[in-house]
Amino acid sequence: MIPAQYQPPLPLDRLILKDGAEGAGDRMELDVLFVGAGPAGLAGAIELARLAKTDPAVGELNIGVLEKAEALGEHSLSGAVVNPRGLRELFPNLKDADFPFRAPVTKESVYLLTAGGQVRLPTPPTMKNHGYYIASICEIVRWLGHKAEELGVNIFTGFPAAALLTAGNRVTGVRTQAAGLGRDGQPLSSYQAPNDLTAKVTALSEGTRGMLTQAWLEWQRIGSQNPQIFALGVKEIWETKQPLDRVIHTLGWPLPSDAFGGSFCYPLEPHLVALGIVVGLDYSSAALDVHVLLQRLKQHPLFRATLEGGEMVEWGAKTIPEGGYYALAARRSGDGVVLVGDAAGFVDVPSLKGIHYAIQSGIYAARAIFAALKAGDASGARLAEYDRMVDGSYIAQDLYTTRNMRLAFKDGFTLGGLKAGLMTLTGGRFPGGRIAMHKDAEVARRPNAAEPFTPDAKLTFSKVDAVFKAGNATRDTIPTHLLVGQDVTTEAARFYTHLCPAGVYEEVDGKLRVNAPNCVDCKATDVVGPRWTPREGGSGPKYKRM
Amino acid sequence: MSHVLAVLEQRDGSLRKVSHEVVTGARRLADALGGEVHALVLGAGAVSGADAAGRYGADKVITATNAGFAQYAPEGCARAVAERAKGGAYGAVVLAASAQGKDLAPRVAAKLGAPLAADVTDLGVDGGSVVVIRPVFAGKALLKVKVTASPAVVSLRPNVFTPVERPKAGTAETTAVAGDAGRVVVKGIKAAAGGALDVAEAPIVVAGGRGLKEPANFKLLEELAQAFGGKAAVGASRAVVDAGWRPHGDQVGQTGKTVSPSLYIAVGISGAIQHLAGMRTAKVIVAINKDKDAPIFKVADYGIVGDLFEIVPQLTEAVRRLTSA
Amino acid sequence: MKIAVCIKRVADSETRVKIAADGKSLDEAGVKFILNPYDEFAVEEALQRKDKAGSGEVVVIACGPPSSQETIRTALAMGADRGVLLEAPGVPADGLAVARALAAELKDGGYDLILFGKMAIDDYNQQVGPMVAELLDLPCVTCVAHLTIDGGKGTAEREVEGGMEEVEFPLPAVLTVDKGLNEPRYPALKGIMAAKKKPLEVKPAALGTAGLEILALTPPPERKEGRIVGEGAAAVPALLQLLREEAKVL
Repeated sequence: MIPAQYQPPLPLDRLILKDGAEGAGDRMELDVLFVGAGPAGLAGAIELARLAKTDPAVGELNIGVLEKAEALGEHSLSGAVVNPRGLRELFPNLKDADFPFRAPVTKESVYLLTAGGQVRLPTPPTMKNHGYYIASICEIVRWLGHKAEELGVNIFTGFPAAALLTAGNRVTGVRTQAAGLGRDGQPLSSYQAPNDLTAKVTALSEGTRGMLTQAWLEWQRIGSQNPQIFALGVKEIWETKQPLDRVIHTLGWPLPSDAFGGSFCYPLEPHLVALGIVVGLDYSSAALDVHVLLQRLKQHPLFRATLEGGEMVEWGAKTIPEGGYYALAARRSGDGVVLVGDAAGFVDVPSLKGIHYAIQSGIYAARAIFAALKAGDASGARLAEYDRMVDGSYIAQDLYTTRNMRLAFKDGFTLGGLKAGLMTLTGGRFPGGRIAMHKDAEVARRPNAAEPFTPDAKLTFSKVDAVFKAGNATRDTIPTHLLVGQDVTTEAARFYTHLCPAGVYEEVDGKLRVNAPNCVDCKATDVVGPRWTPREGGSGPKYKRM
Repeated sequence: MSHVLAVLEQRDGSLRKVSHEVVTGARRLADALGGEVHALVLGAGAVSGADAAGRYGADKVITATNAGFAQYAPEGCARAVAERAKGGAYGAVVLAASAQGKDLAPRVAAKLGAPLAADVTDLGVDGGSVVVIRPVFAGKALLKVKVTASPAVVSLRPNVFTPVERPKAGTAETTAVAGDAGRVVVKGIKAAAGGALDVAEAPIVVAGGRGLKEPANFKLLEELAQAFGGKAAVGASRAVVDAGWRPHGDQVGQTGKTVSPSLYIAVGISGAIQHLAGMRTAKVIVAINKDKDAPIFKVADYGIVGDLFEIVPQLTEAVRRLTSA
Repeated sequence: MKIAVCIKRVADSETRVKIAADGKSLDEAGVKFILNPYDEFAVEEALQRKDKAGSGEVVVIACGPPSSQETIRTALAMGADRGVLLEAPGVPADGLAVARALAAELKDGGYDLILFGKMAIDDYNQQVGPMVAELLDLPCVTCVAHLTIDGGKGTAEREVEGGMEEVEFPLPAVLTVDKGLNEPRYPALKGIMAAKKKPLEVKPAALGTAGLEILALTPPPERKEGRIVGEGAAAVPALLQLLREEAKVL
């Protein structure tokens, strides 16, 4: 079963609009617009606001950040162990102690798990986290949000961007998603029309699998050497009775040997633990269920020891771009637009890091945008300075060093592991050459029977209970936002059922049933299943400390 | 020694049953304060059933009359209660946190310059001060509060202070109250249209799932809901709504939306589908299902295993008998 | 029409309640604070009535800690004209103290209407509105679910046990409003931007002496393990008895 056969194409005619097209209520003009209030967008807004203030010729800029979640951080999810480098550059006058980190990494362990046991491995050099900090991305985002607002940045929460506004080849802004529509798409009494926001430069900081980012790249026919590939991470936060004193990473069980990924377990506090499992979406068994894998993982003695008697307080899921260097778009700037953060693919898989690259890319974008505004020229030629900054920085350097490590694993765990080891030893030089990759949706899936799994509602949970813990309170009468392909077979329906961690898809009597309100915007569906589009602002999860 | 003033409630000239709870609560306080319970009811004339106050422990029952008190008169009643409270060495004034009480109690408290401990579920006396317990954060926590000023004005959450018979050979008096009803005039009460209660708002929800086998069988649940006398709504699981058996408006939320009735009766719902998350915060959950291993029994406070087609009609009969009592 | 709306910053209803170290208050770490949902209906009502009258002013007033300014800005983003924060270290447990502070601020405002949400979703006190009315000697109707105003007179409907009570009152008046009175608007993008520039005055709250003291905040009793009461229709009487006497829901 090949998922791509059932995937509708990106609806470009809806996503790329001519500026001035009918359909919008209000219109607002800004100088610069950031789409997505994650670390990249907020860092960009902060750096830009600061640059503007220090330059009397510019004075104040009208900077806006659009965020689809109801409040900052509610759609942000990460491990996370953060390299402070990006924040240090953004706030050179602050010390590490001033940043919203939870704790420095002291001890760490890596294990290879088997069904009943574990083997301690030496920590691979790419994963050494000494000098880094355990943090919650939600807390980082809220902290950055305050800093941004102090500098006069306008943050608009509850406003998803639904389409790009264009004039010729230029991006002139975005149109937001309408709110208050009924199941049949008809306006209710709470209807709010879409808004058009125009700006001299639009920075797309949408995060993983950004919809407008994809649309812009396709529209401008910008490719990359390899297609972008993704992993799905499912994460929980637990209040535990037993303390945890170290950062843990595992490989092996419960992942099948032909799936790429592993698990993480980080103590935000000794008794507040973030744990999760990450699996590449190019897995071969149609019955693989990442949420279920996480539930099984918790039953392993290594994890059960910490979690037993505790309480799961949050659950969530998100995809991660894993294509690395070769999946970066040929250019990430154009007329009136730049791409930053996860949307641009700046994530280093072997070290599991993306937040500091996001912040750094936001900083570079701000500098390039500032120069462009001063020159009165927001063309692609001028904004290409942003690409030059990124390409000449540690972002590109780090990604280049690990350019083939994830890709090596397409040959399976053992062989992949060997290759990756060699790459580490040789700083990426051997085995050299680009390893080609398929798009995740083009990888064939073996229909398998799923192993039944019954959650005990104490240590392990059903998807229904999990979605509840994500704080998802999306209104049930919302129109479905997922674009399902034609003629979805029973096999494909079953694949989607296992794929989606939030239980959006169910196979009932051979047919696909879509429970759209369950969606937590992880984007796994967009990668290998029905296409994702934004819903009215405030829908989806409400992460607190993910 | 401090007395306690118990403010009773009447409608259409008859004492409302919640007044028994008020006297019970007042009696508890009075015993601890070493004083009497004086029950006060305001009406246009005599109030039938007012003598019941004596049965529940009132030493004195006072009927205060004024032509303007036929309907609840917010300003007139507040004035009358406050004047009585000022005149009688009362350590506490107790009302019900009913629709009327929630309106009257703050007015009385402000007139007395006294604090109001509202919607309490327990009360007592500690070192001469009234101490209460009240639920906060939608029942997710309990607040223990001491009333440091006097008198303590307290309103009791209905259905918590089960009336206890403590007969007192008390006295009854009637007194006329001068003045008018006030600037705020209640014209009357329109009875609730027999129309359906919204599932999200109803204090009692009777929900059905696929176990009902076909749409026509929802009639059983409609009858059970009606037996609760206008307080219950019929809900449905998503499976049943998606199958077109019930309108979407009946669907009980499931993606984290909390429907929080006091009583949730799940009939023929296995609990395996996305139903559980939405109903979880109901105060009391009852499950009726023929499968004793159905997941819903893990969440329910009380369960009956068996054939819903036999159980539900019996339950309906029993509830009817109860509510008409 | 000159309308004042008294609002409150409260913890979101989905908050997982954790007790702070002092044993008396909510641990605010990670708690999301919002404009009290019932107050949204009050703000919306004020905005609609001012619009209908063609001219006037909507003033929002909050009593609480400095962070309440964010809540006032939300109401300003909806369209209110200016805000006042009566600053106090926390929100007092004694509703009468809050009422005193608000009454002092409202006294000489010349308001046609003073609106409140019927209750705050954190403490469920349901008292500040009518207390303010008493202190200002103004007519007051609580829990208004339907409202019509004709010149200097108003008619309201409020929910009581078994039906809807119809009430008449003169203006100026204090009203507390219930869900369903109207459909609160979402702040528009322009409203969010404009809110930053609208006047927001901060002054100390004149609370007076409190008459209530919080002794403790505790979690509710553990939900008892559920049990199967019996089998078949024969179990019905036992179930009903438990629902009446043990669960106390009937």
